[in-house]
Order: sequence, then C-alpha cells, then structure tokens
Amino acid sequence: MPRVTQDVVIAGIGETPVGRLPGMNSVEIQAQAVLAALKDAGIGLRELDGLVNLDPYATPNSMFATTLCEYLGIEPRYSATVDVGGTVTGMTMLQQAAWAIEAGYCEVAVCVYGENTLTGRAAGTQGLHMQNLLGGEEWEEPFGCQAMVIPYALVAQRYFDLYGAGPDDLGAVAVATRAHALLNDNAQMRKPMTLADHHASRPISSPLRLLDCSLISDGGGAVVLVSGAEARRRGLNGARIRSMAMRGTHNSAAVMPDIDGFGMAAAGRDAFESAGVGAGDFDVAQLHDAFTISVLVTLEALGFCPPGGAGDYVRSGNASLGGRCPVNTHGGLLSQAHIGGMLHIVEAVRQLRGSAGPRQVLDARLAVVSGNGGVFSICGVMVLEAGR
Amino acid sequence: MSDSDFGNLRAVLPHPTEASRPFWEACQRGELLLGRCDACDHVFYYPRRHCPACGAPEPGWIRSSGRGRIFSFTHVAVSFHGAGWESQLPYTVILVDLEEGPRMLSRLVGGGREAVKSGDAVEVVFPEVEGQRLPFFRRAG
Repeated sequence: MPRVTQDVVIAGIGETPVGRLPGMNSVEIQAQAVLAALKDAGIGLRELDGLVNLDPYATPNSMFATTLCEYLGIEPRYSATVDVGGTVTGMTMLQQAAWAIEAGYCEVAVCVYGENTLTGRAAGTQGLHMQNLLGGEEWEEPFGCQAMVIPYALVAQRYFDLYGAGPDDLGAVAVATRAHALLNDNAQMRKPMTLADHHASRPISSPLRLLDCSLISDGGGAVVLVSGAEARRRGLNGARIRSMAMRGTHNSAAVMPDIDGFGMAAAGRDAFESAGVGAGDFDVAQLHDAFTISVLVTLEALGFCPPGGAGDYVRSGNASLGGRCPVNTHGGLLSQAHIGGMLHIVEAVRQLRGSAGPRQVLDARLAVVSGNGGVFSICGVMVLEAGR
Repeated sequence: MSDSDFGNLRAVLPHPTEASRPFWEACQRGELLLGRCDACDHVFYYPRRHCPACGAPEPGWIRSSGRGRIFSFTHVAVSFHGAGWESQLPYTVILVDLEEGPRMLSRLVGGGREAVKSGDAVEVVFPEVEGQRLPFFRRAG
C-alpha cells in the first residue's frame, strides 16, 4: 500500500493565462508558470532546488527539465522530466517531488507543465496527434484510429451499450462543467451551454460530439512543494498530499480492456485506503475530463455512484457547485483549458486554501484529483487535504 | 462480394518490424494470424517477440477464423488527415472480439455500416488499400 506523504507542504500554485498565447514557446510558458507559483509561495527563484516537468506533446523535446532550468537560471540539486501519460503526469510530478524532498535531495521543488499546444501545432491539424511508439502507429493508424477522440468514442459507445446510457448523460457533464467555467475569469469558454447546445454540436466520432471534447490550449500550471521543516520556518500552512496511487493496464486502443478493467478503480482503492478516506468524504473533486465520457466512468470507478448511475448523479446536481461534491469547479479540460491536468491540481489546492472566489466550495477540507493517460490506459488518483 | 467492392479506401500503412512482418505478409495471402505461446497456450493480438501472459520468448502463430463480434464501434465524422481523407467520411472504427479470444482494433467496411450494433457478427476481409491488403471487417451473414 502506498504510504501517506508525511511532511511535504504545497506552498504555492501558478497558472498562466490560457487559450491562445501566440509568440510564446513551451519553455517560456513553463517558466512563466514557475515564476507565478514561486511568487504565490513567497519564495525566491534562487531558493528553488528541485524541478520536475513534462515535455511538450505538440513540440516534443529531449532534456526538457534541463532546458527549463537553464532558461529559468537555476542549478537545482534534483530535476527530471516525467511522462507517465496525460493527466496522470501532473500528480506523478508531485509524487516524485515529494519523494525527492522527503529523501533530502531538495527542499523547495516545483512541478510544472505547459505548452503552446493550440498555436504550436501544425497548420490545418485536427485534434492532437499523439506520438505513440508502442502500438500506436502499427496497430491503430492502418485502421483509421487517429486522435484521442476515436478510442474515447469506442469507450462511450461501450458505456451506452452496457447501461442504456445516451447523449443526455454525456451532455449533463458538458453543461455542468461549462456552468463552472463561467465563474472562472481564466477560462477559454465563456458562453453558457444548454443540453440542446450540446446535442446540436457537430458529430466528431459517434457518439461523441464537439461539446463532448476537451479544449486544445496554450497555457501552463505549476505547483511548489516544500519540506515541512521549510514550511514551518516560513510560517506556511498549505495544503498537503495525503496519498497518490496509479495503475496502468494498456496503452494502445488496440488492446483496450472493458470499462471495469480500467485502472481507475484500483488506483482509487489504493489512494483512498492509503489516505483512510472514502468517496463520501470529499468536499470537491477535480476529475479527468478530456471527454465527457471520462467523468462518467471516473465517478463510477471511484465509487461516487453505482455503475451506470453517473448520468443521473450529475443531472441531479451532485457534481455542481452547491451539490454533494462539486466536480471540476474551474471548468476542467472541457471548458477552462487542457493543460494536461495541472490546473486540476492547482484548482484543488485553491479550493483547499479557500481562495477560489465565486466558485469556492464552502469549507473544503478534502479533495480528490483523478487523471488518466491514453484511453484510461494509465489512471491516477491523488488525495489532497487542507492545511492543519 | 469481392475485395474490390469496398470503394476507394485509404489508410496510413504500417511500418512492420521483423517480428510483426509475418502478420502483414499473411494479410497479403488473405490470412489473419494471432500470436500463440508454445509454453502457456495464450493466444494474443497484436504480435510480439514474447508472450505477454508468461514472458516466454518466440511465440508461434495460429490462423484466426476471421470471425468475431463487435465489442464497440464509432463512426468517424472528421478527417484527421486533411482534405484527402474527406472521401472516407464517415468511416467506422471497431473493436472486434475474435472467436479465438483476442480483441482487435480494425475498420468496418461494406454494406450496412450505418446500422451496425455492438454484438453484431463480423468477418475479416482483406481489401487492397494504398497497394496493400489490410485486415478490415464486414458484417457477416
């Protein structure tokens, strides 16, 4: 069982503007997010001695942590680029930074991801082409399986067949998430959405429509972690990581298991058991939402509702602000921006600090963040708690 | 229905490794191959240099009946390869559960695609696409 992180404090969060950031490259975006998080923490650039980041997907690089350290002007004692997959990578960065701090390799570490996915991709491109060395090219592309939306559509159709679900269930997620984005000044989508708007949006890959798909975004997010000793010295009382667990089951859609075989339930069990909590204990949830179907599958896998019950759960307001456990209060990947899940973590911390403004969940003490990479290929669950 | 009756199909062709080449070569003969482990009898797709169930090296091959049932499907309405692919739209990507057990990602071609449902019977066909025969499926019966 993964043990609970004992003495690492989330000292700061940073978020760049999102949407189109023409003229900025991925290094500049990540640096801006790092500096914002350090400023938020009240920590100087020279005090940063650990850095973990993710290489940009749209413009792949090697040695990207080293590149970013040089650009920032730091010589950290620990740095690494990690790529576990999609929105799991963000929480994996926090896990690795926490381990590095606990093991004494560094005292102040930043975790950062950001890139110019929207303005940096090739002209005329639809979606985001994933370079997938294992399986992707040979066992997906000859069969017309390109872009992430197609495998997620296969999951959505399977979900419909298993539970008699339909477009209203997907649309409930899109509409609830958009309502939250309207309370976020830093969101790409600023227009209200109705269920009719969702149903009228153009088909992409059945049963998924345009408004079932996440955004493609420029932007970045960062989180600064410090040791407990460092936090006490500075008088910081930030949110803490209670647990993180992951489970990978496959990569390519060509070998995708059935929905109950995805790793989300196992990752959730490990993370919840390690933290000594259950789904009913959470005040707020930031769940992977690259496509609307992801939220339905994740709510069920984590035990917020029974299998097949997620559409009703969302429709009844449970996942909305004021409901039982609001989901994606910042607008998520669907309506705020897709910054690889970093802004799910940033928003969870914001909620736990009570600084989420008009979308603040009253007295939020415990948050769950989920991520998945590929098509539920690897799943991660992180439990965060407010400062004591 | 002959293989030429599926219209002008387009595909991004595979780049086989030495280990996967027998699979694609068999397609040129109209055969669908699956990996089969000599040590533990596990039958699997896609082909690998070892058995993914037990790790034994150099698994053998069996010929699939080419029959299976639709596990899931999606009708793709947008081109991810620019205007040159718009002639393909909408095309249908499927996950097929083969009689021998493995699940395979492929493409459904031929008549009755619009009405396809999960659980429907399908059978492999090998239309020539971009000068190479690929293992697609059509509705059976």
